Amino acid sequence: MHDVAAETVKFIDLNTANILFLVIVGFIGGLVSGFIGSGGAFVLTPGMMSLGVPGTVAVASNMCHKFPKAMVGAYKRFKYGQVDIKLGLVMAASAGGGVWVGINIQQWILNQWGEAGSNLYVSLSFVIILVVVGGYVFYDAWKTARTGGEEKVCALAQWLQSINLPPMMHFKTANIRISMWFTLPIGFATGMLAATIAVGGFIGVPGMIYVLGVSGLVASASELVIAFVMGFGGSIKWAMSGMVDIRLTLLILAGSLFGVQLGAIGTTYVKEHMIKVVMGSIMLIVAVSRALAIPTYLKDLELITVADSTNKTLMTASFLSMCFALGMGALIILGAMWRAKRAEAKEAAVALEKSYGKV
Amino acid sequence: MMSFMKKIQEKEKARQQEALREGNVRTPEGREAVTKDEVSRKILVVGKGETLDAEAIDYAVNLAERLGYDIIALSVNPTLGSKGRVFSPYKQLLREKFTQKAKAAGESLQKKLALKGINVEQLVKFGDVGQAVAEVNRQMKRIEFVITQDGVKETEVSGEINLPVFSITGYQGERTMAKAADSSRTKMIGKTVGLGLAAAALYAAVFLNTDTVMKYFTKGAWYAALPVATVFIFSFVHGAFASQFWSLMGIEATKKAQPRPTAAKRPVARKRPRPQLRIDT
Repeated sequence: MHDVAAETVKFIDLNTANILFLVIVGFIGGLVSGFIGSGGAFVLTPGMMSLGVPGTVAVASNMCHKFPKAMVGAYKRFKYGQVDIKLGLVMAASAGGGVWVGINIQQWILNQWGEAGSNLYVSLSFVIILVVVGGYVFYDAWKTARTGGEEKVCALAQWLQSINLPPMMHFKTANIRISMWFTLPIGFATGMLAATIAVGGFIGVPGMIYVLGVSGLVASASELVIAFVMGFGGSIKWAMSGMVDIRLTLLILAGSLFGVQLGAIGTTYVKEHMIKVVMGSIMLIVAVSRALAIPTYLKDLELITVADSTNKTLMTASFLSMCFALGMGALIILGAMWRAKRAEAKEAAVALEKSYGKV
Repeated sequence: MMSFMKKIQEKEKARQQEALREGNVRTPEGREAVTKDEVSRKILVVGKGETLDAEAIDYAVNLAERLGYDIIALSVNPTLGSKGRVFSPYKQLLREKFTQKAKAAGESLQKKLALKGINVEQLVKFGDVGQAVAEVNRQMKRIEFVITQDGVKETEVSGEINLPVFSITGYQGERTMAKAADSSRTKMIGKTVGLGLAAAALYAAVFLNTDTVMKYFTKGAWYAALPVATVFIFSFVHGAFASQFWSLMGIEATKKAQPRPTAAKRPVARKRPRPQLRIDT
């Protein structure tokens, strides 16, 4: 591993613009992941690469910032009674297997079709999974919002919970009792997606909500536990090959630890389906962004021909729409928090007036 | 043989009818009816201020929870009693204010204890404490015992009623609470600044020595412990700072949206059949 490290690792010089970029994106990414359980990585990794950081270093440094961030977020949300630690650990255990399989598939594709093939595979899985799952999450959130914000356990989850297939597990905070066998594939898929597109939560959180029947609040909070376990394991692996640029990691952390706590606080203000709204919209925009990048990879594989200028425009548009996805998520969260806080202040003022107005 | 059985049955019937006439129901159905519309047992907490001491209330709440009782909080103001002039607008105003504050305190207590399944009723009386307690004891059914808080003497209360009276004394809790509220803001600012400085120092330590840090942190193998340990330390210090910072900014979790424990189920009251005198015939 050492010679590989020596070959590829060219740690960049930091200037003010770079530092500001990392801190600000760290903050916004942290805000989103504190709220929906994951996110931020999909902008940070390409963002760092655009600063000139080699791909592996970008992935490694990003992962090394992910687990402490998830830890701080999980702790905060645990205090609000939203984290089901057992659920998180069970899912994380099976996610480990998913990561392993995901990495092997990646490697196999890399050997078969080279880097462009690997990129294409990543982008295609992005687009397919995000459109299907993100679309459903968004549809569900929209439906919930229309029917007055009451979350219902979907029929699939109710059916699976009724099947008595030992070993049955009871998750106290999530308040569900379900066979262990149904949690395994969700965790596995989370790990596999994490290994492929670096954001396992896009499968993990909807999986917990729609397959296991966990509420959005508990699912997104427990996802932070999964993110911590996976990020911790991944960081050790990357650090052992010397790929972590601690400066980048610490700069991102400077922003993201503020963000993740604000996001966690935000969950206590908003209606539960807001988590699904944010998640669904981010997933759909990211899907568009990845779809924009597909022609480039197809060209690299010499399957189609694209003019260089078009190619460049597409890649820029792809990155910008990613930033837009993250920024919009952050705006929705902050907006919802702002409205909820204002409404609360108003209510408190009215109550005060009622109680002391007569004197 | 048959006639003997009949005789016994007749005798039993007559006995029952007699009992019914005396209003002394002995049938199992009758006994059931008595226990069903049972009024809940209560603890009466008495204090002389608008709000009751935390000690007395805590003690009563713990007891009520264990025993499945309800609580009556009684605020008595002896100085605003009806002695002297019968109608005084100023006194009336003071009384109103007192009542309002007491009721507000009672309401907030009621809200808190609703989760535990304990009912709280706040009553306000003016005048002599003993008389007030006696009055309440007449109005409310099944007050089992009385808890008096600091400032109310046991002898003041126990003279008028036939109930056990316990007094809870001690200023400690109130004093420390008041102190904590006064200095909490200053303390919070101090803590935030301290943590901020600590986080800044950590960042300075790394970024002023980037060359050395990068040399060792990227060596790989066992040196992997260095970056991992570093991010842990940073996340503790900087995370605590960020948390304090948001609290100081007034951005904190709202209590409204937090998942609330549903009202605890009170254990079903055990039936305690009263011993009854029965004469075998």
